Amino acid sequence: MTEALPEEWLAAAEALRADGFEYFDWLGCVDEIGRRDCFRIVLVIRNLGQGAEPMMLSCLLPRDHPQIDSVQGVFAGAAWHEREAAELFGVDFVGGDHRRLLLSPGFEGTPLRKDEVLAARTGMSWPGAKEPGESEIAPNRRRMVPPGVPDPALWGNRDPSEPSADPAAVAESAVGGRVRRRRI
Amino acid sequence: MSSSSHRWIRLIEPACTSCMICARECPSWCISIDSHTEPVEGLPPGARNRTRNVLDRFAIDWSLCMYCGICVAECPYDALEWAGDLTEPGAGRESLVEEMVQPRSDPGLGVQ
Amino acid sequence: MRWVDWYGDGSLWVLDIALACCTLEFDAAAMRPELVDGRDTAVGALPALRDRSQVAVVISGTVTDRLAPAVAAIVDGCEQQVGRHPAVISFGACASSGGPYWDSYAVTKGVDQLLPVDVYVPGCPPPPEALSAVLDQIVGRIPS
Repeated sequence: MTEALPEEWLAAAEALRADGFEYFDWLGCVDEIGRRDCFRIVLVIRNLGQGAEPMMLSCLLPRDHPQIDSVQGVFAGAAWHEREAAELFGVDFVGGDHRRLLLSPGFEGTPLRKDEVLAARTGMSWPGAKEPGESEIAPNRRRMVPPGVPDPALWGNRDPSEPSADPAAVAESAVGGRVRRRRI
Repeated sequence: MSSSSHRWIRLIEPACTSCMICARECPSWCISIDSHTEPVEGLPPGARNRTRNVLDRFAIDWSLCMYCGICVAECPYDALEWAGDLTEPGAGRESLVEEMVQPRSDPGLGVQ
Repeated sequence: MRWVDWYGDGSLWVLDIALACCTLEFDAAAMRPELVDGRDTAVGALPALRDRSQVAVVISGTVTDRLAPAVAAIVDGCEQQVGRHPAVISFGACASSGGPYWDSYAVTKGVDQLLPVDVYVPGCPPPPEALSAVLDQIVGRIPS
């Protein structure tokens, strides 16, 4: 995998294309929260004349301001992939197509970010919350919690006077398992 | 794949210990379990008191179930199995919730 | 729209709103040899219906929030075009409740959030014979 800085991204894509990597395979976004406060944009292209070996080009963007040049002008097929990454992660592809791809026009949020929570899971009562031998959920400091539901003290039931939770903390607390929680 | 797989899931009630593993592993959250504890009878004199789990309710909401079989695979006591019958359609969503624990005539007795 | 003359005799016309995998089971049910032989292939517009002809709409697959208005519009449109209320069949877990995608940010948790449903068929996907049995019941070929 070759890394490029955001300001080098477009030039790197153009240079690779000029080098024979003319086949666009895919472009994706990875949320690296928990490891580093970044999104990683990955571009995979192939040189069909050389056995179609893939070339992977990647670039790290800061999570709070993810902005990168669009490569639609180099690989037309990247347009849909960039639109998907833009709408699901909130990445700004400068010079690209800013139309929504899959989500409803009124949709709010960037659902594939790891600190974005599936509200349906937090709203629904998990059948697995009971312990063996229980018919009601009794107060218990070490409960089983399902994956996808963060600590309510961090998200949802948070004390509004406290500062907003760190995204990495929200993402980590949504892992699930047997945990110590202040409230059920 | 046998002809009876992925059509319906049957509970083998005597094997179930209410361990909750199937309900916790189900990705669709479609298994509901209620249980309580009862003291174990007939222990030898001097033995410490023991309790066991008694299953009160085991229900699968078939409108959510995706027939993945994770519950069947995860059950440590083989209390769930694929069966050949088909789950029945229903006129209302609630009619698709199947209660699988047989009602007991004497509420004091647990399943042996 | 593609209407299927289910028994080949005009007694039951079925429309499939083909959203996802379940529609393959619909096709398997609709294309059984004993039904297909001697029957017109599916038609685009309904012919004039006899008094006792029945109409059913099958929703096969996941209803995404983006497509939900279109699904509702199709069923409304059917009722207006046909002049009678179609039987609405929610085919499969996704159409019944959102199924495995019940918690998704983009999925409607069951088509009954949009319109009234007459029969919910569980399965992921239900086998073709489940749909055939439901349609047989609707026309009274087997007692419900």
